[in-house]
Amino acid sequence: MKNRVALIFGYNDYALEIAKNITDNESEVYIYSLHSEQDILKNKSNFEIRSFDLSDNWEGINENFDFDNSIAFCVLEDSAENIFLTLSLRSLFSNLHIIALSNNKETANKLQMAGANKVIPLVQTTAEMIAEMMEKPIVKEVFHKILFESGELKITQVKINAKNEYIGKGITELDWNDRHGVIPLSMVHEDMKSEFIYSSKIKHHIIKEGDMFVIVGYENCIADFEKLIGSRYDVNWCNWSR
Amino acid sequence: MNFFSRVIVDLAYFLHTSDAYQHKKRLVYDLLENNKNHYKQYFDIFMIALIFLSVAILIAEVKHEVPIEIKFFNSYVISIIFFIEYILRFWISSSVCEIIINKSEHDTMLGREFSLFRAIIKVVKAKLIFIFSFRAIIDLLAILPFFHELRLLRLFVLFRVFKLFRYATSFQIFASVLYTKKFEFLILFMYTSIVISVSSILMYVMEANNPASKVNTLFDAVYWSVVTIATVGYGDIIPITIEGRVVAIAVIFAGISLIAFTTSIVVSALNEKLDDIREIKTIEDIRKLKQFYLICGYENVAQEVAKKLKDGVTNIIVLDEDEHRIANAKRDGLVALNYDPGDAQSYKIIGIDLNTQVKAVLCLRESDVENVYTTLTVRSMNKNVNIVSLLMDDSNRKKLDFAGVNEILYPKGLVGMISKELIGRPVAFEVIHALRNDYYGVSVEEILVDDRMSQKLIYVHELNNHKFKIVLLGIFKKDKKRFFFNPIDATMLESGDYLLVIGKSIFIKEFEKHLHKKIKYEK
Repeated sequence: MKNRVALIFGYNDYALEIAKNITDNESEVYIYSLHSEQDILKNKSNFEIRSFDLSDNWEGINENFDFDNSIAFCVLEDSAENIFLTLSLRSLFSNLHIIALSNNKETANKLQMAGANKVIPLVQTTAEMIAEMMEKPIVKEVFHKILFESGELKITQVKINAKNEYIGKGITELDWNDRHGVIPLSMVHEDMKSEFIYSSKIKHHIIKEGDMFVIVGYENCIADFEKLIGSRYDVNWCNWSR
Repeated sequence: MNFFSRVIVDLAYFLHTSDAYQHKKRLVYDLLENNKNHYKQYFDIFMIALIFLSVAILIAEVKHEVPIEIKFFNSYVISIIFFIEYILRFWISSSVCEIIINKSEHDTMLGREFSLFRAIIKVVKAKLIFIFSFRAIIDLLAILPFFHELRLLRLFVLFRVFKLFRYATSFQIFASVLYTKKFEFLILFMYTSIVISVSSILMYVMEANNPASKVNTLFDAVYWSVVTIATVGYGDIIPITIEGRVVAIAVIFAGISLIAFTTSIVVSALNEKLDDIREIKTIEDIRKLKQFYLICGYENVAQEVAKKLKDGVTNIIVLDEDEHRIANAKRDGLVALNYDPGDAQSYKIIGIDLNTQVKAVLCLRESDVENVYTTLTVRSMNKNVNIVSLLMDDSNRKKLDFAGVNEILYPKGLVGMISKELIGRPVAFEVIHALRNDYYGVSVEEILVDDRMSQKLIYVHELNNHKFKIVLLGIFKKDKKRFFFNPIDATMLESGDYLLVIGKSIFIKEFEKHLHKKIKYEK
């Protein structure tokens, strides 16, 4: 049986940071290097380093992994090689979810054209974080805790199930804050695109089965809310297209 | 806060948030000071026309009888127009409301009692700075012909000519360019003085005893020498003796060299010094800034950070030792100076006050060595300034910490954390990301609860945020350093708290205005 895995292409600090962070979510994480012989020698991490090249010979990898449900991170330092790798992966594995790292806008555009599902624009993301530190330090601190730290406050996606008293009612009729202790931020459409709850269009939306919301709340409130209204929804990468 | 102080602060907030008042003030500012304002040039032309008219009337009065209406126009109408202009400039020179509000918020932040007296001192200081500025003095003198009965004061009409400096910036630039060559001009002055002194004495000695010569006094000789050296040569006084003519030849040559020397000084000043003048002007402007972010090193991340911060209220200054990067910063519309941020001398030359002017130092070179060096330089000069630095290699984290960086941003670590979120909660991550970056016009903002607001708004339910379609995400209690998510209606608001609100940006602005205006309505 083929396994769902996380494959990281490129051996560098980015790869190691990604591997370190995703091991809790992914049971199998493999780092692939273009220069495996040198990298294996200098590897001090606990992650296994395997070899790959930029040819279309993926037979060894393809046999063992379920590419339809796996994730690939393209973090090669050379932008051209990174784009070429993304393109190779996309041409061979149409359902593989590719997250690529870019240093600038031009590379980000090319990576998206090459088929990456998500591009992390390194420079822009770093700059956004620094700007937020300066202009909105409390927002930065609160969101950082919500997103990246294991505090009581959580953000999650919930899906409305069939047996629900709120189906057929307007969004505003659901007493999110006072009764359930959660704050809704956005509604996720069928095509997995989210829309903020504050838009006038969404305010008139009638809740139906399968609707998905992004909510913020304390862990216990979210758990109670989930029991009442639906279930925590783990996003299937096959459906996600942002 | 006592009743009187409260009334003053309330009034300041009222005026500060009054659209009508701010609109009028903005209008006056644009007309008088904003060079980008289309109507300013018409105003300037109008004022220049008044100045010339005023001087023309003064000249006409010397030999002709000027109609009483024109005299009245010159003495009263023009003077009153100038007086109104002076008062308007006095009004817009600084914002009294802003000074009082800032002082009030500052005292609130520090948990101190608001001192009206200190606020008034600040206001007076700000206004005195205007009153004693060179331009304001000229403006004031230009009004004096209003008292035309005092004959001497009529000559103050000429001060109106100096007002031209205000309306024609090219005059100011030209004067500042020439000023940079003051040393050369000093040499020129000394050279001219020596030539005039020697030649006039020689001329007097050679010619004074000759009955045919018109040089009878030393002053005649000096007059002749000045007229000759200036290459004017009126011909009213000419040398008669051979010796005198020899002196004249020497003075004529000296005169030619003098003209050439003067011309070359002016031309070279214009050619060489304009860049320097620009830099001096930039430094002067920086010294006047109340607060700014200091970006040290202008590489990729710094460029993006500057783009993000540019829209805010705080100014940005870029320092980099690399000329090309500085050129890039200037091209991006930033105030940038080619100085090494790792050199303490740079800060002294520019005159940056790290204590009061710098909101934060951002060490954004993509080299840990450079960032550590800059941090140490800044920290050696100031212990308190907030320093934020990029970290390129995690093994250098301790070094940056040790150097005194307050906040470190490690992009590689950030990528790791983002990757985790993208796997676990991709949509939630995107929602937060969009919220942080004000995509789709929806954003999250911090609103400070100041002393005044907390007196009137005691509980959360009094905020009425729902009316503005604003969601109160929570309250950050600064004294407890804790964030209270989704606070219940009975939660008390305290001075120094921060409200974290989510909603459409325009509604948040309206909500913030409402929080300040609420006091007025209740009264």
